[in-house]
Amino acid sequence: MSTYDVELIDIVKDFESGGGRVRAVDKVSVQIADGEFFALLGPSGCGKTTTLRLIAGFEQPTAGKVLIRGIAMEGIPAYHRPVNTVFQDYALFPHLTVEQNIMFGLQMEGLDKKAARKRADEALELVRLPGVGGRKPHQLSGGQQQRVALARALVKQPAVLLLDEPLGALDLKLRVNMQYELKALQRDVGITFIYVTHDQEEAITMADRIAVMNEGELLQVGTPRDIYEHPGTRFVADFIGETNFIAGTLLERRSDGFGAVRLADGTMIKAQLSEALKTSSGAVTVAIRPERIGIIQGDDSIAPEDASMTALDALLMDSQYIGTDTRYTVRIGDQIDLVVRAQNIDDRESAAFAIGQSVKVYWSVSSTTVLDP
Amino acid sequence: MAASPQLLINESAMGRNRLIRRLGKLGLWLNPVFAYFFLWAPILILVLFSFNESKSVASFTGFTLKWYNNILNNVMGAERAFSTEIMLNAFRNSLFVGAIATVIATALGAMIALAMARGKFPGKGLIDGLLFLPVVIPEITQAISLAIFFKVAFDWIAVISGERVFPGFHTIIMAHVTFNISYVAIVVRARLADMDPQLEEAANDLGANPWQTFWRITFPLILPGVISGALLAFTLSLDDFVITFFTSGVGTSTLPVFVYGLLKLTVTPEVNAISTIMMVLSTLLIGISLALQGRNASRA
Repeated sequence: MSTYDVELIDIVKDFESGGGRVRAVDKVSVQIADGEFFALLGPSGCGKTTTLRLIAGFEQPTAGKVLIRGIAMEGIPAYHRPVNTVFQDYALFPHLTVEQNIMFGLQMEGLDKKAARKRADEALELVRLPGVGGRKPHQLSGGQQQRVALARALVKQPAVLLLDEPLGALDLKLRVNMQYELKALQRDVGITFIYVTHDQEEAITMADRIAVMNEGELLQVGTPRDIYEHPGTRFVADFIGETNFIAGTLLERRSDGFGAVRLADGTMIKAQLSEALKTSSGAVTVAIRPERIGIIQGDDSIAPEDASMTALDALLMDSQYIGTDTRYTVRIGDQIDLVVRAQNIDDRESAAFAIGQSVKVYWSVSSTTVLDP
Repeated sequence: MAASPQLLINESAMGRNRLIRRLGKLGLWLNPVFAYFFLWAPILILVLFSFNESKSVASFTGFTLKWYNNILNNVMGAERAFSTEIMLNAFRNSLFVGAIATVIATALGAMIALAMARGKFPGKGLIDGLLFLPVVIPEITQAISLAIFFKVAFDWIAVISGERVFPGFHTIIMAHVTFNISYVAIVVRARLADMDPQLEEAANDLGANPWQTFWRITFPLILPGVISGALLAFTLSLDDFVITFFTSGVGTSTLPVFVYGLLKLTVTPEVNAISTIMMVLSTLLIGISLALQGRNASRA
């Protein structure tokens, strides 16, 4: 008996497309624990939905294995797998009432009508939508249909619930509310959720662990903090949150996990090496988040001024007020532009820096990550 | 302050454009009026004269229902050839042929539509294109081809079994099935295209096997399309003259063939009345068919 709810072992999926073969999923291996809220994150066409469909049984892998609760799923059709799906466009049966939609899966299990109806009503209460059982799906709002889709899948008490961008069709405010609700619901029912999304914010807020995919490949798996703070590749750093990328040359790779990097203009900085870094010396990219950069007047000094901090003189090129923060563009040397995000602690306009003035930017060396170029 | 550019309004050009727009609107209204006049005028005249007291179509002398009364009560009309009994018999033939041809064509047509929409097989594109062929090839071509086909087939049967088969209801029904399959398939396919294929996946996901998925989800959702296709097929079957004429045998006249027989002698008011009844019946069936097709699949 495996300790994992879902295990993918070297999954490959090729599609025939106009005579050629397109690899949608490329050697993906991942283990998902019981009760985990697992997000598959990536841009559209990255293979995340195909991966989900391979678990659901709508597609068969070209190579590799799908295990659910330790059982190989090869040759087991979708209707015999202990997983249920919440579809992106809900896929509610338009000719059936809400209650009949939810009862459908139970009746397929052979449950009698009365018992199925009782369970359906309970499921509607679970998703906080009691009393709409008699209505047709089209009479409900998008948010309500989404809850019905959730109830229809959850009522089957699956081992794993698969969610394919379930909040994609909802407007922003509703989406944020549903994120909290879904997370709370998942904690309550304790079912493993595999959640496909292209929205990094959604993944970060909801998931226990995130798998970032691009072009069919699994790039990195980790907690939201891991992924955000220690991106393994340039793609991951770029896809999740905003990041400054500075081209440089790695001169020395030290055993304490730091390295010396010479930036394009000759500036030498110390930066943390990514665990996934393959380059031992030569061209690299240094990534640093805009909110990790501090900005002060050009003639101020920072404390403590030691090796754990980097401070550089810069010229303020642009300033953009965005409510909570101000977004500054500063130039180091004569060619490196960095975006700096400073929280607006002071409400006065005079507190902000003026375009064209000289400033000093600083950051902790642990905030930087050296990545392959 | 910088001088703002002068906003120029050309009064005469605006007036001209307004006139053109008005003329355009008038044209848009007149166009369908003329088109519909040509379309409907002959039919209106037919209906009108089916209620005309005078036997002649020279003038409308007053309203009467006697021609309708005549066709139902076996009163001899202007022509000896007419008898209610023969007419009702022809009508029964029409219903009989129509009903059987519709059932067979609907089943086959719906199956083709399903195979086209869901199946993956070599030559699908070709079959897809050929599906429209019976809709576009001239009816007379189809009629002659069927007549020749049956003759050849019956000759072969005669050679092989020594028994001579003659055309009759079976040939008419086969012919009607042939041209109706395409219509049913096209209507059902449109309905299937409207249906979200994810619904079938959802049913699968919830534990329904393909058989259960078909009968519980797919079939109920395409049913309006199937009924609509069946009504269309039934109507086409009832109305068909050319193909029926070429494939019928002795004593298997359908209503349109019977009416044609009356016409050979002269146009009588009774023919007007029968034609009007046939038109009302067909319009009714097609109306129901269209209403069903128009129903949104997502709200079925």
